[in-house]
Amino acid sequence: MSPIVEGLTALLDPTVIFGMALGIGLGMLVGTFPGITATMAVALASSFTLTLTPVQGLAVLLSIYTGANFGDRIPAILVNTPGTPAAIATTFDGYPLAKQGKAGLALVTSGFAAAIGILVSMVVFSVAAVPIASFALQFGPYEFFALVVLGLTVMISISSQSLLKGVIAGLFGLFLATVGRDPITADPRFTFGFDVLSDKLDFIAVVIGLFGIAEVLDQMLSHNKLRLKPVASLGRWWPKKQEYKTMRKPLIIGSVVGTIVGIVPAAGGDIAGLIGWDRAKALSKHPEEYGKGSFEGLVAADSASTSTLGGALTTTMALGIPGDSVMAVMLGSMLIWGLQPGPQLFADHPALVASIAGIMVVSTLVSLGLNLFRIRGLVKILDLPRNYLWASILILCVVGTYATTTDINTVVVMLCAGAVGVVMKRTGFPAGPVVLGLLLGHLAESNLRRALVIDGAAGFLTNPIAAILLAFAVLAFGGTLFGRIRAGRKEAARRDATLVV
Amino acid sequence: MNAVEPSRRLASEEQAGSKALAEGISADELALVEEMEREVAALQAKPSRKLERGIGITLTVLSAAGLIGSRAITVRTETGGIDPRWWPTVICSVTLALSLMLVVVSLTKPPFEREGLEVTNHDGWRRLMWTIVLSVLYIVAWTVSENFVVPSVVLLVAMMWVNDGRGLKALVFYPIGTVMGVYLLFHTVLRIPL
Repeated sequence: MSPIVEGLTALLDPTVIFGMALGIGLGMLVGTFPGITATMAVALASSFTLTLTPVQGLAVLLSIYTGANFGDRIPAILVNTPGTPAAIATTFDGYPLAKQGKAGLALVTSGFAAAIGILVSMVVFSVAAVPIASFALQFGPYEFFALVVLGLTVMISISSQSLLKGVIAGLFGLFLATVGRDPITADPRFTFGFDVLSDKLDFIAVVIGLFGIAEVLDQMLSHNKLRLKPVASLGRWWPKKQEYKTMRKPLIIGSVVGTIVGIVPAAGGDIAGLIGWDRAKALSKHPEEYGKGSFEGLVAADSASTSTLGGALTTTMALGIPGDSVMAVMLGSMLIWGLQPGPQLFADHPALVASIAGIMVVSTLVSLGLNLFRIRGLVKILDLPRNYLWASILILCVVGTYATTTDINTVVVMLCAGAVGVVMKRTGFPAGPVVLGLLLGHLAESNLRRALVIDGAAGFLTNPIAAILLAFAVLAFGGTLFGRIRAGRKEAARRDATLVV
Repeated sequence: MNAVEPSRRLASEEQAGSKALAEGISADELALVEEMEREVAALQAKPSRKLERGIGITLTVLSAAGLIGSRAITVRTETGGIDPRWWPTVICSVTLALSLMLVVVSLTKPPFEREGLEVTNHDGWRRLMWTIVLSVLYIVAWTVSENFVVPSVVLLVAMMWVNDGRGLKALVFYPIGTVMGVYLLFHTVLRIPL
């Protein structure tokens, strides 16, 4: 049997179908509820899925990922609050449309744009993943270290307002990865005699703490009596023929932008949505309508943010470098199942790769169907009292973490990570680079030390792939730094001009 | 011509507004939504130079401690050069340098914007402190009693009480139902010993 047929047949297993249904339902719910991100939901679910087979577990995790990308648009349109960061750009035109009494139309249009975005990006995954993986098979220590540097640099560049804080967060992640035994000599480092630390920090515990507990603690700190009320008048639901026609161009622009952004390591739907919206506006015949309730703007933002999914999946599966923060968590789960994402995955488990693509496509189509017919019901979740939510998340984080090792000390690590996470959140340090640093720290250290022993630092210049990857890292960091300095100067000039007037 | 344009724009905006209202949303609802937007904007956390300075100084101290800790790592075979101490030393040295830069930036540049963060409040700090205390007590109770169910129900009751949950639903049905659900899922279905 061909691996593709074998992989797709695995999806007919009732437990896999149940896993997908569960994942889509959970994903839609967490997406709809502002404050719970897809990363947090996948991190929590990853502790549940460790006892399942890889296909069953991936069915749950990938379906949450897809479902959340549909659910998060609902509060963005109805209450101007993105359900997850990926729906930030949806608020630009979605909410003005809702205020004009076109919420129903905006929700349906957004659902279609999101689905088309994911499906287009999955075509790219199907076409590009195998060649990229074959190319990556040539990678040695120099290339792997350079790849880690590129991934970290890009995530630092895009995830923080302050580059300095982003770099420090990435270094903190790399430092956390040194806790445990040395990857080459097995000497203990920073274990302080605790067994729980001797086998390095539990990745899932740290991720659940940084994304789950930290979010709950932050919400507790800043919660107030103000209740967001969704726009109640949904109006007409289905677009007219003429309206469909105007959406074609922004749909193409959004899908192309999103797929490219998705392939870049660590760049997610939030960045893609903003870039896609901006590019579609620049190329539109009616740029003045953007931000005031433009269907073109809504379609461009949604298709761009969701089409990162296929790109992120390509980078994660083909290179072993997480395409975004959800993929970083998923990569951790795959390692626990004994699967090493990267070029070897395509050679050793081709059927699993086909299953992954199948899960993404099926969950997208099912999510679209649910999105079109169950939107009214999902809106009610916005009324769920916060105290129930906080208590539920806390107990799920505790039990979920305990399930990974059945050791109560892992729960202590998770709670400590949560405390560190809330301090980081309140002080402007992004959690993404910490997770990436922790995940890739061992890979970076062992490959760098091997590379330096083999041929010294000069090897990075004589090795073309490593040199190109490092050059991209420098360009990404330098470009961001230059852009921010320029934006700062513009802002200062604008302030001076205002003072003179 | 310039004098005419604003009035034309105003008129067209008014027309667009009445058209939007005609499509379904009421004027009352629009006013409510706009009021809500203003309230949300007022809750935005403000930049703070003092906070940035505190972060820089704390990080400098922590990274210096990390550097000392890195050099103190005991290795079984002293090889010198690129040994198990080398990588943590590199990381802590770079972090120390960047932390000092952060201190300089906090003294010379305007503080960073705190977009996406809301202001904290007194009730929030009370909730946070109680959650930390309850979590510590919960871990101790679970470890000492070697029982998951009772400490978990007590934790949820206490969490609901601290967060203004009152009545049978919040203090009885929800905690017992949730712990039963979690126990069934993890212990019975997934066979994880709780």
